[in-house]
Amino acid sequence: MKHPETVFLVDDEPALLKALGRLLKAEGFSVQTFDSAMKFLSAPRHEGSGCIVLDQSMPGMTGMELQQHLALKDSALAVIFITGNGDIPMSVRAIKAGAVDFLIKPVKDSELLKVIRAALEKSRDMLAAKAELSEWRQRHEALSSREREVLVHVVKGLPNKQIAGILGVVEQTIKVHRGRVMSKMGVDSLAQLVLVAERLRLK
Amino acid sequence: MNWVTIIWSMTAASALTLAGVHGFVWFRQKKQLASLMFCIMAAATAGMAGCELWAMNVTNMESYAHALQWYNLMRWLVTLALVGFIHFYLGSGRPWLEWTVCGLRTLSLLVNFIFSPLVYYTSIEELVRIRFLGAEVTVVEGIPNPLSIIGQISLLVLAAYLVDATWRGSHQGHRPGAVRVGLSAVFFVIALSLQMMFALWGFIDMPIVASLFFAGIIVVMGIELSQDMLRAAKLAEDLKMREIELKKERGLMDAMFESAPGMLYLQSGEGKMVRWNSQHERVTGYSNAETAAMNAKDFCAEAERDLLSEARDIAFANGGNEVEFDLARKDGTTARHFFRMVPVDVAGEPHLVGIGIDVSSQRALAEETERQRERMAHIARVASVSELSSSLAHEINQPLAIILSNAQAAQRLMAHEKPDLVELRDILEDIVSADIRAADVIKRLRSILRQGKPVLETVSPRSLFEQALGMAQHDLKSASVEVIRRHSKKLPEIQADRIPIEQVLLNLIKNACEAMEDNEFRPRTLSLMCVNEGPWLRFSVRDNGHGLRDAGQKIFEAFHTTKPNGLGLGLTICQTIINAHGGKLWAEQNKSHGATFHFQLPIVPENL
Repeated sequence: MKHPETVFLVDDEPALLKALGRLLKAEGFSVQTFDSAMKFLSAPRHEGSGCIVLDQSMPGMTGMELQQHLALKDSALAVIFITGNGDIPMSVRAIKAGAVDFLIKPVKDSELLKVIRAALEKSRDMLAAKAELSEWRQRHEALSSREREVLVHVVKGLPNKQIAGILGVVEQTIKVHRGRVMSKMGVDSLAQLVLVAERLRLK
Repeated sequence: MNWVTIIWSMTAASALTLAGVHGFVWFRQKKQLASLMFCIMAAATAGMAGCELWAMNVTNMESYAHALQWYNLMRWLVTLALVGFIHFYLGSGRPWLEWTVCGLRTLSLLVNFIFSPLVYYTSIEELVRIRFLGAEVTVVEGIPNPLSIIGQISLLVLAAYLVDATWRGSHQGHRPGAVRVGLSAVFFVIALSLQMMFALWGFIDMPIVASLFFAGIIVVMGIELSQDMLRAAKLAEDLKMREIELKKERGLMDAMFESAPGMLYLQSGEGKMVRWNSQHERVTGYSNAETAAMNAKDFCAEAERDLLSEARDIAFANGGNEVEFDLARKDGTTARHFFRMVPVDVAGEPHLVGIGIDVSSQRALAEETERQRERMAHIARVASVSELSSSLAHEINQPLAIILSNAQAAQRLMAHEKPDLVELRDILEDIVSADIRAADVIKRLRSILRQGKPVLETVSPRSLFEQALGMAQHDLKSASVEVIRRHSKKLPEIQADRIPIEQVLLNLIKNACEAMEDNEFRPRTLSLMCVNEGPWLRFSVRDNGHGLRDAGQKIFEAFHTTKPNGLGLGLTICQTIINAHGGKLWAEQNKSHGATFHFQLPIVPENL
């Protein structure tokens, strides 16, 4: 099932929620609104791309706390903060934690839409990267245990002869393993293999 | 050896010994003329004894006459020395009697030499040997010389002189010892006179034994003199002991003076430096010689000299004082010092003694602490203000954001080919309500910060207090504050805006509770009072807390606060409310502890 790209609005002020929802719907976005962070979390997880426009200061769970929560859950939702009384340290923290932007109320529609579009693009990228990563993970899991060992030494930059020495086999065997790793992982060059290993945090 | 030889030679020897001793005393202390007189008298008495012994043992007339001549010289000396002794020792003899005694004796001596060989007899018939004290001694038998009466008279005058001097001496409060000397001299002289007369007129056969009588006087005199000497020695000893003790005391004083942690000083009434410890020298940098020429005010920074002289005057007037000023050192620097001064009498002159302690570090610390406290309070205040402004901003921002987003959503909807009119109406409704909300925020703010016209109703003053107390119930209970009501018995109802006035009372009660928070030993007491004062009703809230930390009207200024978490708006708002009622709000520092806040409200407000 294809998930529609959705903009989530979380703000404790219902009137604002309604107004922003109208604005975004008028632009053709699929919008879901929540008047608290807890309500958002108890809704079913959104698997597709999307973004969340978060009020920083809310009773119960704050926007920042929700952001941390999402990061832990490995969500592909891009985060945009919107707040009535933000300060610089708060915005820096939010951006560092991966927020796309930190907007101050009242927000101009053009700016909000621009940021939402950028956020959705980022979300899509994140989703793609996630898909790619899981593809690589699957491929890596398909390797035999010996091949995985060889892979680790190869991406460290060790020559075949040395790897053979470490693993106690002849160089020719390593060559065979290495060729198989390259083809199973679907890469053409050592450089690509190193990159993949890095993404998979194999080092 | 017979008794006569033994007695006379022993008399002579002991008289000589005493003469030697007192001669030595006089030699050491030339002012002791009584000792000199005693020495002469004793020596002459020894001479007399020798002459008598000589006369008792001669066998021819010529030798007897010689012995008698020497004997008379000695007697003359003895008499003069005795008069001299009494003169110097008792000091109470009549001078004319003294001169008479000496003159008569001298005359008798001259007669003795003119009528050589003898004064006692006009002619000596024979030398007779008689037995006296178991020995054979020589006596004379002859016709008594009428001129020898001079000697007798001089003896009687001497006796009279002694009686007189002793009598007068005893009345002048002399020591009993001195009087004893006089009395014994009288006794022996009178005894001697009687013996002489009896012997001379032939009633008894006896050799001349006058030296024994004088020896008797000498013994009594010697005893008294040696007792005097003993006393003097004792006194000297005592003095020495006293001196040693004084020295010890002085040493102790010096040690205390030096060991004091601060500067110690003794100054004259005019401020001249009399004594000081080495710490004084170290701290001021002035040497002892320099300090000796300085005045107390020279050690005081110029700006504070009046303060010092005033403090000194108060110290003299009140028996002590304490003062703090900048001590001026020699190198031109100053250091805050605390001085205690106590007036003392030194040799009848008023002086000031005291101590000076360097308090510059404590002072600096206290100032730093105060600065820190003010800085903290300022930070807290600024933070509160920024919090207030940010919360105000949020309050107003929120409806503005709603309006903006709604309006922009409407714009976008309008751009559609077939705008959803229902949705547009909803949007407009939301915009209106958000706008009203923003206006409300502004109105509320205005009612807090600015004068709004109160809505008057008839209220009872008691109910105002009770309502406010009800709202402050929690604060009062948690701080265990005792509430005392002291209202007038008859209180009129007034026209007032109930809620703001209750707010004012609540604010004042809460402030009072906070002011009493630090009361550790005083029970926290809140007194509420409402009294009728002509056209006014006065409400008072009195606490026994820390009082007004800054006097005056400053407490009513906006953003002025002494509370670490305060905004400094409470009293400003209270004042605004009371002023709006045509009343007046003010504060008073209590005489004992704490502060009282009063406000007056007109019973019948006009033109509101």
